[in-house]
Amino acid sequence: MNLPGISLAYLRARPLATALNLLLLALGIATIAVLMLATRQLEDRMTRDARGIDMVVGAKGSPMQLVLSAVYHLDAPTGNIPLADARQIERNPMVKQAIPIALGDSYHGFRIVGTSHDYPAHYGARLAAGRLWEKPLEAVLGADVARASGLAVGDRFVGSHGLAAGGELHEKFPYDVVGVLAPTGGVLDRLVLTPVESVWKVHEHEAEEARERGRAIPGGGGPEITALLVQFASPIAAATMPRYVNAGTNLQAAAPAFESARLFRMLGVGVEVLRAFGVVLVLAAGLSVFIALTQALEERRYDLAVMRMLGAARGRLMALLLIEGLALAAAGALAGLALGHALTSLLGAALRAQQQVPVTGWTWDAQEAWLVLLALGVGAVAALLPAWRASRAEVATVLAEGN
Amino acid sequence: MLELNAVRHRYGARVALSLERFSAAQGERWLVLGPSGSGKSTLLHILAGLLRPTEGTVKVAAPIGIVPQKLHLIGSLTVEQNLLLAQYLADAPQDPARAADVLRGVGLADRAAARPRELSHGQAQRVAVARAVMNRPRLLVADEPTSNLDDAHCAAALELLETQAAECGATLVVATHDARARSRFEHRLELAA
Repeated sequence: MNLPGISLAYLRARPLATALNLLLLALGIATIAVLMLATRQLEDRMTRDARGIDMVVGAKGSPMQLVLSAVYHLDAPTGNIPLADARQIERNPMVKQAIPIALGDSYHGFRIVGTSHDYPAHYGARLAAGRLWEKPLEAVLGADVARASGLAVGDRFVGSHGLAAGGELHEKFPYDVVGVLAPTGGVLDRLVLTPVESVWKVHEHEAEEARERGRAIPGGGGPEITALLVQFASPIAAATMPRYVNAGTNLQAAAPAFESARLFRMLGVGVEVLRAFGVVLVLAAGLSVFIALTQALEERRYDLAVMRMLGAARGRLMALLLIEGLALAAAGALAGLALGHALTSLLGAALRAQQQVPVTGWTWDAQEAWLVLLALGVGAVAALLPAWRASRAEVATVLAEGN
Repeated sequence: MLELNAVRHRYGARVALSLERFSAAQGERWLVLGPSGSGKSTLLHILAGLLRPTEGTVKVAAPIGIVPQKLHLIGSLTVEQNLLLAQYLADAPQDPARAADVLRGVGLADRAAARPRELSHGQAQRVAVARAVMNRPRLLVADEPTSNLDDAHCAAALELLETQAAECGATLVVATHDARARSRFEHRLELAA
């Protein structure tokens, strides 16, 4: 027999109220936890995917769209750019490295990216099997692609036109799988890599057909790529190169760091609204705990008076109700965190199924400790007034009322 | 022993109790009689230390065991836990063997795991007495222990209090308006309305 034991006995004696309070608290904490886990992982992942890429050069249009399509492979590209123009950028002395990106096709929703060996090297990718491509129509699969498709080294597959699944199949140009990358935890995992020449070869006939019809299409005037991922040779280039590209050429330059920060600011409004919703849920739970404890106090005023009669100090009665509030809050916080992690795992599975940036619930964020403290704080505050009232009640008066 | 001198207690302007002198030697059995509103409960609360009188001095040997009229057993705890709670709240070591002894003494050895709602009124009253004597009180006070009881149960309730008080060597003070109790007590304090 001790205070926590008595508190738990009281909580067990009111299973419905206890369960409802736990549920409210858990839902609030889970909402905040999911947002916390998902946004942190997305931010980490986007930061990692854009690391070392100072500038993206592509067709004129939305700079954010250019970054999303060329760096994160999430959006449609803004268009194509002539290879000759890209080469000019590449030769600029302020450019340390420029990696070409050529998009256009996909395999079961995974993007086929024409590029150079510098691209997997940039992300420090290792081969889990096979080798890198050496000639057109050889392909290296990212880890997620290999796992989802079941393809392995030596297999052959056909890409479909467009970046979404269900496009026209390029059956005349099958790819040979020559390598599979080990998981990188980044964007490469969900890409099919091939030399830029593969993309040109597959789309050659389109350019010819267009020329025959006298219509200009991307690639019609010479080889094209979709974008160039640029790393600067010196920090000064960050001030001059984008301006040079945007004002002095027909191309567009965008900074991944700036655009992803802008994206998170925009998303941030929604995230903050959801987070506020989570806080409101937690506060509502706190209010519910307060009402439950206040009601419990009314139901238990004789019990508490008897405890005083049996010798309990005022502080002990306060502690009894505080422990009850804190026990509810702690259980609610733990249940909420477990629920939050489970929901994040489900969200991750859903995103993975759509070839989107995946998140996992199997990770711990140090910030979650603050959620536990928030819940405990709410529980303590909710219990404080009933606890104080319990400690101040005049025992003889209460017992006399009972007579 | 207990000793009260010139004790008065007021609720606002109303005088609830006025007692020039009341003293009892250790082990004596006292009956406090009086109609409703005469101050019996107020006197018991003062004796139990739950109420500080507006005036006067009170000397009471501790510890004190109390059997309230409505019994007020803690419904979410078992019978045994109700008994151990008395020790815990009085900062005494919790002694399940003592609880078993006391329950045997009140004839409820087999009801230790029961909840108060599973008990009859008579059983609940015995548990309340058992709880009051858990800490071997020097003073045992009981408020209207015979109300709503038939003659047989009235006698049994008073006998239980007498036996348990005697086992502890406690002074027993029973407050009641029930005239049936009068003959059992050698010492009586009559309060007027």
